[in-house]
Amino acid sequence: MTGEILLEARDLAIGYDRRVVVSGLTFSIAAGQRLGVLGPNGGGKSTLFRAVAGALPPLAGSLVIRERVGVLPQTQRSRLDYPVSALDVALMGALARHPWWRSAGRAERRRALEALAAVGLADRADSLFGELSGGQRQRVLLARALVEEAQLLLLDEPFSGMDTASATATLALIDRLAARGLGVAIATHDLDQARRFDTVLCLNGRQIAFGPPAAVLTRPVIEETYGGAIVDVPGGGGGILPAHHHDHA
Amino acid sequence: MLVVGYLSLPFVQRGLLEVLFLAVAAGALGPWIILRGLAFFTHAVGTAAFPGLVLASGLGFAPVLGAYGVAVLFAGSLEVLRRRRGDRIDSTTAIVLVGALAGGVILASDVFASRASVDSLLFGSLLLVAPGDLLLAAVTAVGVTVVALFAARAWLATGFDPERSGSGGRRSRVPDLLLYGAVALAAIATLAAVGALLTAALLIVPAATTRLVVRHVGRWQMATGLLAAVEGAAGLLVATELNLPPGPTITVLAGSLFALVAVARTRAAAAAVAAAAAAVLLAGCGATDDDDRAVAGPRIVATTALIADWASAVAGDRADVHAILAANADPHTYEPRPHDLLATAAAAVVIANGLGFDDWIEPVAEQAGFNGRRLDLSAGMPVRRGDDPHWWNDPRNAESAVRQIRDALVAADPGGVVTYRRNADAYLARVRALDAAIAACLATIPPGQRTLVSDHDAFGYLAGRYRITVVGAVLGSGSGQAQPSAADLAALVETVRRERVRAVFGEEALSPDLVRQLARETGARADLTLYGDGLGLPGSPGGTYLGMMAANASALATGFAGERRECG
Ligand SMILES: Nc1ncnc2c1ncn2[C@@H]1O[C@H](COP(=O)(O)OP(=O)(O)O)[C@@H](O)[C@H]1O
Ligand SMILES: [Mg+2]
Repeated sequence: MTGEILLEARDLAIGYDRRVVVSGLTFSIAAGQRLGVLGPNGGGKSTLFRAVAGALPPLAGSLVIRERVGVLPQTQRSRLDYPVSALDVALMGALARHPWWRSAGRAERRRALEALAAVGLADRADSLFGELSGGQRQRVLLARALVEEAQLLLLDEPFSGMDTASATATLALIDRLAARGLGVAIATHDLDQARRFDTVLCLNGRQIAFGPPAAVLTRPVIEETYGGAIVDVPGGGGGILPAHHHDHA
Repeated sequence: MLVVGYLSLPFVQRGLLEVLFLAVAAGALGPWIILRGLAFFTHAVGTAAFPGLVLASGLGFAPVLGAYGVAVLFAGSLEVLRRRRGDRIDSTTAIVLVGALAGGVILASDVFASRASVDSLLFGSLLLVAPGDLLLAAVTAVGVTVVALFAARAWLATGFDPERSGSGGRRSRVPDLLLYGAVALAAIATLAAVGALLTAALLIVPAATTRLVVRHVGRWQMATGLLAAVEGAAGLLVATELNLPPGPTITVLAGSLFALVAVARTRAAAAAVAAAAAAVLLAGCGATDDDDRAVAGPRIVATTALIADWASAVAGDRADVHAILAANADPHTYEPRPHDLLATAAAAVVIANGLGFDDWIEPVAEQAGFNGRRLDLSAGMPVRRGDDPHWWNDPRNAESAVRQIRDALVAADPGGVVTYRRNADAYLARVRALDAAIAACLATIPPGQRTLVSDHDAFGYLAGRYRITVVGAVLGSGSGQAQPSAADLAALVETVRRERVRAVFGEEALSPDLVRQLARETGARADLTLYGDGLGLPGSPGGTYLGMMAANASALATGFAGERRECG
């Protein structure tokens, strides 16, 4: 199911202080669509998400965003000793919709608890964020984006450091959210995962390809995306993986 | 005295009130300072107030305004630099701090020569809390608490996720600017109480301590405010009992408690440490000596050891003389001790040097609730150009001082009139004899050779009395720390060579480096020292006024003549 266009990029170039990091971006995300963003470390995935979140101005081309964006940044270790509960984090989403000096009312708390329930963490509302598992933390951040009433979610490598069970649960949650009409962009290194999404975007300093996975994830495109450093999966029916698909520092 | 007994003293009450207000601010802001990584900024913004203080004292407006003006500028330029350069807040803070301090040093040395209020604000004292300080602390407490109530959610969100931006990247800058402004306000408010160097003891250490046991932000703030209040009050009372400076006492207390809690979290052995600390503290309390010696006459407070020397000579055993400034101490960096206030509170007469030398006696007398007789010795004698406060270097002024002290003692204690007159007459005779001996001794040296170079022009009165020519001083008077410029030094070297000066003199209470440097460049001898700002240590040749004058005269004669001479 796809609906209205939430985001549209045309010949977009982005970077830092006029230094272009990714260029030639022409793609879109529609309501209900899941977009896999593939690329090597340093390929520009996080930079693209920052630009979509509004933290970096476009250096060339156009970027049109029609709905509220919620970002789940790459996890940072320093945040783990921060004295906030899961509910506190979910409540932060309400800040995006109100003036900064407004305190959280009863309605906002109810909405935050609902969002936690929607990501399957109703019983962990009072747990400290830092004491949750990696997968649970990602889901709390998703709840925050839901409270924010974001229509477009950007998940920056949500599965790194997550065990298989959590990753499966999170993927299922992403599917549910897309079914509810949200657009979801997921930066990932996992090609098999990317094949499950509606569209994929391959980046390596520039856009290599964009489209449905079946059409895009061909050997030449993957080689160009990962700079040729790929290995064949032994015995796999033509499956290919980047050489270093684990998380980076 | 039982510790609670101090609560009836006005200066203790004001100190406690100040500490409580600041504790409220510490509770509201301390956790945010730690969560948002602003500890260095907090320390820096107080220290960076330096140029503002120099400007305020140079141009004559309230120091707090100068300090806060610079602090707000500091916070603003920090935010601008940080946004533009994308730096971490620590490195940006360091850059802005260095700039502010350099500006302050240049202003202090080259633009204005005065620095008295700068010292008092950089060091501060809980014993000298003025009504203005209390007002500032109260406004700060209320202001930062209100701001923290409204901005807490935004501060929490930004600290949790600095990169993320609320709705599509547009997050208001206002909460962060408010945080920096509130921290700056609190740091400036603590300046008056504990000084820039100890700001951390109030604003950071209590929050760091409670963080070890409390997780939730609201409870953390409560616990921090409570702990800061307890530490501040306990530090002030313990300092009063043991006659320690309150600021450092609070700092040591807060630091020890932090260490204790940190250890306790890892090991149960903390109980033993706590017991040991308590034992040391109790032993210290028990060991304090009792000041209540029985004397027939009045209690007298003298600002300096020199004045105390005269007062003791006049009073003999009849009065109890308390000197505030220890011998050989730099009068420019005095911080009052609790017993100074206690002695002043009980005194019948307070005797000061005057001419800016000991202005700090004003707040001390005020805070102590002193309402006896005040004697400013300089008011009764001829003053040299530029209000030079070192008048005692002319023995005729010392005679005037002794007569004034005699009259004040007689007025305060008419029953002792016979004793005071007899003692004063005997002492005045010795001063006159010394004066004549010094004059005779220096008269044997040709006037052309009586050329004095010293690193601090404290000797104008001496030169005037004995026909000595002063050709230069490395530093201006009234300044123990200002930096001489390269041009000043070069001019002085030139003068020493031209006048064929044989000796340059250092001073007991000052660093000898400058004088040695001068001697290296000119070949003059630099091994002779003078007592410039007052008496030397008890037992040294300069430990009494008469001994000090004789020692100075001998050193001068030796330097001028180029051979060993003894005068007086
Ligand atoms: N804050 C920044 N300032 C300047 N350059 C950056 C910044 N963050 C990332 N870069 C650069 O941008 C490029 C893309 O990085 P990034 O978007 O983090 O890649 P990815 O998320 O795909 O691993 C890299 O060359 C990186 O060095
Ligand atoms: Mg990245």
